[in-house]
Amino acid sequence: MKLLFILFLLPLSLFAHLNIVVTYPYIGAITKAIGKDHVDTIVLAQGNWDPHFIVPRPSLISKLRSADALIMNGGQLEIGWLPPLIKRANNPKTIPNATTFLDLSRHITFIQKPKSLDRAQGDVHPDGNPHFHLNPKNILILAQTIATFLSTIDSEHQAIYATNLKTFEKNWQIYLTRWQNNMASKKGMKVIQFHDNLAYFNQAYALQNIGTIEPLPGIPPSSRHTMEIIELIKQQKPYCIFHDVYHSTKTAQYISDKTGIPIVLMPHDIGALESIDSLVALFDHLTKVQNK
Amino acid sequence: MNKILLLSTLTSALLFAVAPVVKPAQERTFSQSQFMPDMSAILDFSYVNHSISDAELQHLSIPGITEGFYGSHDHGGNSESTYNANNGFNLNYLEVVLSSNVDPYFSVDAIFHFSPEGVEVEEGYFTTTALGNGFRFRGGKLLSEFGRINQQHHHFWDFGNAPLVNEAFFGTHGINELGMQLQWVAPTKMYLMVGAEALQGTNEAMFGNAQIADPNSIDPEDPTLLAEEVTAPSLFVGYIKSSLDAGNTTFLPGLSLAQGTSNIDHLEDEEHAHAFAGDSSVYGADLTVKHFFDSYSFLSWQSEWIMRDMDGTGYHNDAGTTEAGDIEKEQAGYYTQLVYAYDQNWRFGVRYDSIYLNDITRNGITQSIIDPEAANPVSTTEDFDRYSVMSEYHPSEFSRIRLEYNHNTALYNEDGERQNLDTVMLQFNLSIGAHAAHDF
Repeated sequence: MKLLFILFLLPLSLFAHLNIVVTYPYIGAITKAIGKDHVDTIVLAQGNWDPHFIVPRPSLISKLRSADALIMNGGQLEIGWLPPLIKRANNPKTIPNATTFLDLSRHITFIQKPKSLDRAQGDVHPDGNPHFHLNPKNILILAQTIATFLSTIDSEHQAIYATNLKTFEKNWQIYLTRWQNNMASKKGMKVIQFHDNLAYFNQAYALQNIGTIEPLPGIPPSSRHTMEIIELIKQQKPYCIFHDVYHSTKTAQYISDKTGIPIVLMPHDIGALESIDSLVALFDHLTKVQNK
Repeated sequence: MNKILLLSTLTSALLFAVAPVVKPAQERTFSQSQFMPDMSAILDFSYVNHSISDAELQHLSIPGITEGFYGSHDHGGNSESTYNANNGFNLNYLEVVLSSNVDPYFSVDAIFHFSPEGVEVEEGYFTTTALGNGFRFRGGKLLSEFGRINQQHHHFWDFGNAPLVNEAFFGTHGINELGMQLQWVAPTKMYLMVGAEALQGTNEAMFGNAQIADPNSIDPEDPTLLAEEVTAPSLFVGYIKSSLDAGNTTFLPGLSLAQGTSNIDHLEDEEHAHAFAGDSSVYGADLTVKHFFDSYSFLSWQSEWIMRDMDGTGYHNDAGTTEAGDIEKEQAGYYTQLVYAYDQNWRFGVRYDSIYLNDITRNGITQSIIDPEAANPVSTTEDFDRYSVMSEYHPSEFSRIRLEYNHNTALYNEDGERQNLDTVMLQFNLSIGAHAAHDF
């Protein structure tokens, strides 16, 4: 029995590098870019699903159980699915007060922080809009945060993480210019969204969101609100409807038919569409799809 | 806008003049409000229409399995009724949940059920947070993780009442006991969890450890004991659960075992005075298969099979004499349910319940009928079934309206006649406060 147990644990001790569990694919990509060979990144959420509603499958408990660290988006984006997983994983390294737990939202300046909290206003996030990674400039802050985090929990490879961060930053600056150019012609233009999950993207490229198809955050579309949106579009003439990949486009299609403005499918994370296999591909798509 | 600004400046200027500046709560020296535990309240309210009157329902039983299925099985004036028990309106509960970390080592969760009958501590336990190596220890009043549905709270169930077999075997509140629980999650890729529990063992439906006195003793001050008190804890539960994913489908099977003392004393009851003293074993197997079409739509199939073996002595208080006899009961049942979530708003479900095994042996003789004294004795080969359908509308993540219909053929009156029960329920479940997140 004892021998069996030792045999069982042996393969685990062979992994010298860190098991970093992250909630969303984009965090995994940044972590991998900074940690490279010294980390294994395990992503909990599927990129093509609504980030608010990730299914708390028991297999995710096992992933957390063996984690050396946990990095989450925060800002209550994971509130509906992560806490019960953490409670069941029985891993002191993934509880929120652990030094091996990183809440990225603490390092970002939020926008749209509600002045008052009332669920009659929908499923609002108390800290503000948590979809901050869709401003590509924020990715730099997140990369720096993750590099610092990795250096604290694995000081041995501090220099490597610093070098990797430098490379990442250098490349990212080039991309930022490219995406800025892609979006230059859209500056100041108006859009409609399903849910305001592109608030930070709009902030980055000075797009103006004038309304959402869902009447309130987390409340599915109603016919009355849809009529109001159609009126709004006729008055304010936004150039398109930004739509996420996980909600049905039925209502958006109806609005599009009535108003003649196109629906632009906007992936929110790596894996949201099959062609989006990296962070660069994500922002390439988001900035290019506009010009089609 | 300017007007508002002006007004607020004026008001604040006035306030400055009258009173010293009141700092926000968190800046006041001794304010502790930042340490307020997470708090939420869940209201469960229903309108129920049974095809049988409340008074009649209280006298119905599942022969050989349980008496007084619809509540009011009196224990010293304390009547425990099931959820949605009464015709008309039911305030099933106002559940208040408090939860917070204690220190770096423990968290505490407290769940109270407020109802017109009073307040009950539904659960109240501490949980370790820093044990490591996959271990977790919990102590207090808790719902056992025997099987699948036992540890879930009522508002998480897909139907408004517990499965027939769970409620018949373990009572309205399931295995909800004082005790300690140790769980371990294996360091494997596949989810594997094993748990063990030592519980007080005073579940009113099938477990008990108190002494049983003979009501017909010559000296009532010093009665003859039919059964000695068994030192608590007297109920032990163990289980193993595992899970596999195949694409967007998740499988969650589990096996459970409970072993306990069953000293059940109903000798003072007005009808059917009886008692049982012995040991019970309960075996459980459960399987949940859930397939996700997207973030909001899924098809879920959940089934649970439970078998119990009760071995001991049965007593009857018959016109001033206590009759005893060896009794062995082997009983089993299951439920199987299918729930389809069409989108964020709509869900539909069907459930089939059955108690299909009811073997009773008295003094070594296999019985063909359950109660020889009944006018129309019920056969031990009789199945007890219930059929349920429901549809739910979720206006948001925090509110749910459910319409449910049950056709219950498991209930019998004292003469041994089957009394079919049809029930329509309209239930409202609403939650406020801290965001509730549930297990799979």
